[in-house]
Amino acid sequence: MRIGDIAAGRAGDKGDTLDLTIVAYDDDGYQALSRTLTSERVAHVLEPVAPSSVQRYDIPGLRALKFVAPRALPGGVHASLRAGLHWQKAAIWLLLDLDIDA
Amino acid sequence: MSVRERFTIGAGAGFAGDRIEPAVRMAESGEVHAIALECLAERTLVNALRVREANADAGFDPRLARRLRPILPHAARGVAIVTNLGAANPAAAGRAIAHLARDLDLSKLRIAAIVGDDVMHLVDEVEWTESVADGQWIGAHAYLGLEPMVQALAEGADVVVTGRVADSSLVAAAPVQALGLTDGALASALTIGHLLECSGQISGGNLTEPGVADLDAQSYSRLGYPVAEIGADGSATIRLLADDPGRLNVVSCTLQLLYEVHDPQRYITPDAILDFTGVRFEEVATNRVAVSGARSSERPERLKVIGFLARRGIIADIEIGYAGTGALARARLAADILRLRLMRELGLSDFLVDLVGVDSVLGDRSLPLHAEPPELRVHVSARCQDGEMAQAVEDEIYSLTISGPAGGGSVRSERRGHVESITGFLPRERCAARIEWTQTS
Repeated sequence: MRIGDIAAGRAGDKGDTLDLTIVAYDDDGYQALSRTLTSERVAHVLEPVAPSSVQRYDIPGLRALKFVAPRALPGGVHASLRAGLHWQKAAIWLLLDLDIDA
Repeated sequence: MSVRERFTIGAGAGFAGDRIEPAVRMAESGEVHAIALECLAERTLVNALRVREANADAGFDPRLARRLRPILPHAARGVAIVTNLGAANPAAAGRAIAHLARDLDLSKLRIAAIVGDDVMHLVDEVEWTESVADGQWIGAHAYLGLEPMVQALAEGADVVVTGRVADSSLVAAAPVQALGLTDGALASALTIGHLLECSGQISGGNLTEPGVADLDAQSYSRLGYPVAEIGADGSATIRLLADDPGRLNVVSCTLQLLYEVHDPQRYITPDAILDFTGVRFEEVATNRVAVSGARSSERPERLKVIGFLARRGIIADIEIGYAGTGALARARLAADILRLRLMRELGLSDFLVDLVGVDSVLGDRSLPLHAEPPELRVHVSARCQDGEMAQAVEDEIYSLTISGPAGGGSVRSERRGHVESITGFLPRERCAARIEWTQTS
């Protein structure tokens, strides 16, 4: 099951820190996400492009999971070698395109 | 001033280059008591500081006149404007607004400039979170809170113009002042401030939902920006103006509530530490969401400071395009040639070569390529010690047009200096704000 089919998401940044928010559409989706989308799994997904430890915060009342990666954007978004500025806005697709059954 | 029961605040802009007309529509609607214009990103200040260095009367947002001209007449008729268009020079911004008001024949307009966020003179006192030993200071600014804005509004300001203040406080200032909000109601207003500070990002922008068609181009091109009705008890509803297109629902609000938040139980603002974990959204009508459950704990003793350090080095960011049969193979060949030459001829090691349209945004985690793109661009970014090396890298890309694979062209090149934003903290009492008034006669 692709996460983007059961949830919406958004990426943000502050300094070196990348933050990813995932909001499930229903309780079943939230349960599935909170079971499978561990902070270790998200750190593994980030590894090739934005390596960092990942801290997960659970907000069950809003069916939301928050992933905070404090060293994913070394030097901030302006120090990145990616084409143009603010690639991190697209980083949410790293999670939305993830298959959580796999 | 009479005591209001409910106050309506509109978010007319969420970043420096934001659209102009949403605030105009708000002003003309007659539905809002005040408009907040958030126009100052962390880095927007860097350019403003450089402009101020050359001209002491400049350094506010260069779009100030364009943004305020259509709405200033409404400020004269009672729609307060609260904005951080002052950037690096709020006092000069106040004078520029007065000048604009005189041009528009607006008399008795009271403009309050909030001064005091510039803490460059205190850089040695700031508790920085990382080393500031290597580099040259461009500036340092404290995130001020509600107090000076609320005071200015209480003293009759029609326009409040600031430099660096917390975005949530900028949006919350007018309702907090008008309704006299404290405690739980204050937590609610600051939460509304946070929800509104990115304008269209809560009302359909940067949003895709499973199983729901994205807004169409017509709707996106006229996207409505949010307004919030706040009650004296802190109850709040976020909505669009009548007839404005957009998508404002529980999901759009949840995404914005948690946007750029780290610990959702402790979102630190200068005026309170907010706890978002109990916040609830209820869609009470189409594009109308009730917000409840915001809580707060203590007001922090220290204010956050953002410092800008110019460090050595330049990033050269360059692209070259390929099209037609075999474009992918020629682009890959060009990328390999660049890797060889940047290492061997220029001695560079800190660079990235990839393909725009294939893997330049998400790198190794991009989705696999299923079909050959009809055209694409080779991108290279390299960290260079100076402008001479950046030029050498650019020359390498251009040399591909005659000494590389066939048909390379459409070259694009830019350079970025290395300015680092560093976070620090100062005791609140070291950041005394004051108000500079300007009034048109």
